[in-house]
Amino acid sequence: MTRALGRAALTALAAFISLLFLLPILWLLASTFRSSAETFSSSSPLSWGALWPERWTLQNLGSAVDTGFLLNLSNSIVVAAITVVAGLLISAMAAFALAVIPFRGSAMTFSIVVLSFLVPFEAIAIPLSRGFADWGLTNSLFALILPGLGNGLAVFTLRQFFLGVPHSLAEAAHLDGAGWFRIFWTVYLPLSRPAMIGAGLILFLFQWQAYLWPILVTSQQEFDVAPVAIAKAFGAFTTDYGRVFAETAILAIIPGIVLLILQRYFVASVASTGSKE
Amino acid sequence: MITTTAVRLRRHQATRRNAIAAALFLLPTLLLILILRIVPTVSAVGDSTRDALPGSLAEPEFVGMEQFTRMFASESFWQSVRQTLLFNVVVNPLQILLALALAVLLTRGLPASGFWRTLIFLPAAVPLAGSTIVWGIALRPDGPINGILGLIGVPAQPFLTSPDQVIGSLILLASWIGIGYWMMFLIAGLNDIPTVYYEAARIDGAGPWRTFVSVTLPMLRRPLLFVLVADTVANFVLFAPVQILTSGGPQRASNFLMYDVFHRSFELTDPYSASAELVVLLLIMIGIVLIQFRLLGSDKET
Repeated sequence: MTRALGRAALTALAAFISLLFLLPILWLLASTFRSSAETFSSSSPLSWGALWPERWTLQNLGSAVDTGFLLNLSNSIVVAAITVVAGLLISAMAAFALAVIPFRGSAMTFSIVVLSFLVPFEAIAIPLSRGFADWGLTNSLFALILPGLGNGLAVFTLRQFFLGVPHSLAEAAHLDGAGWFRIFWTVYLPLSRPAMIGAGLILFLFQWQAYLWPILVTSQQEFDVAPVAIAKAFGAFTTDYGRVFAETAILAIIPGIVLLILQRYFVASVASTGSKE
Repeated sequence: MITTTAVRLRRHQATRRNAIAAALFLLPTLLLILILRIVPTVSAVGDSTRDALPGSLAEPEFVGMEQFTRMFASESFWQSVRQTLLFNVVVNPLQILLALALAVLLTRGLPASGFWRTLIFLPAAVPLAGSTIVWGIALRPDGPINGILGLIGVPAQPFLTSPDQVIGSLILLASWIGIGYWMMFLIAGLNDIPTVYYEAARIDGAGPWRTFVSVTLPMLRRPLLFVLVADTVANFVLFAPVQILTSGGPQRASNFLMYDVFHRSFELTDPYSASAELVVLLLIMIGIVLIQFRLLGSDKET
């Protein structure tokens, strides 16, 4: 009896805390579908109306579209998509070499890869952007994509997964005369779908969040990715808060849905960061 | 005799082939490390030994350690160091403790645990610039946070516009995002603990607290260390909230090292003093990462 009561209390606690985390998102969604005036009148003084629009409107979404937000969004999508595909290939190749191919200096190379990428990218983004300017690489999709391709966490989680693949599979393929690339492409990659999805999510989230790097390497509006466009709209002399809410909601809903569907792969991938090997 | 030589030769060839294959597979990643980490670090160190008039096109001159001596003598640099440390000393333990508590709560097999987990993780999916703006508006004098305070009779607080409250406000914002994200890593770590350890503790008659301290915590050492370090380096370079909401203010109270480097580089167009400050920030990052490596390496023998 006390056990059941205890469990009920803990469940109520879990539900309460989850709701606290959810409230800002509910407020964001509600504010997307009402006028800014209503947003502020419902929060000061605070009423339940803060979480539910009184007069629904699509005007904010409309003004986001009118001011070209779809272009910014498509920039973000293109950059993230190319990053995920190219980044997965690059990370998986490195992970494969570090997990499967025996060579002198393997452990040391692994340490170098992990150590270099543990230093967060933001820390060296500013001097790097000066280099990009000197090399004439600013204002291009290439500049936006490049930093997302090297991701230590993706390499690390894929290597962990490859280490768990029975070595006998590679040996059997080897006896059949397969080279390393064929073993990588036809044995390891097809087996690694869950790990690849997890690593793909890590690459995607990094790029979808990017803010500092895009403002450093783009000055032309047509290259603004969505987070930059939102920050500009927010910082404008007269801010249209409704539009800012609508754009943020659109920007958040995409990774939100992706994560809802693929969450378990993400959890499985990050699990390997704590393992001993 | 002939056969052993042939075997040795073949083995030698295989070793060479493997080395070449490994090099080819690693080539793109090593190139990225060179371009994205080593080149900018070297150029930052190089620039930190030079000086030129802000905005001037003249060739910068070599000044040795002068940027550093000037920086170490400036009160504003030490204020940035103090505020950065203050923020990090609070935000990192706070986030990891709450993430750990939630991870433990949500791995106890309660009803709908997966659902609660997803809700708490959701803020991590909102891009930082977006959540920054939502919280920036929510913390306005006429926003919903002051609305809640109003309901319980507390007068409206200035939050982001007060030098005393700005760090607390940024901690709130960073934690709303970070707690759920790091919680996922810890949940994964908790799920990896073999259940036999818990059964053994139960047979020994250990209560929940005792079990947590003598089974869960030691088994969770590696994931805990990983999230603590990863969270710390991420918060040391927190940028978007400062740039979008406070510009380092009010009264430079949120002028963290990372933002100050940006500010000097672009708003003051003085990349040389910015580089000196960046070198300090980089050394702190590398120090934290090396400490983690030592700690993770040291328990390999045990």
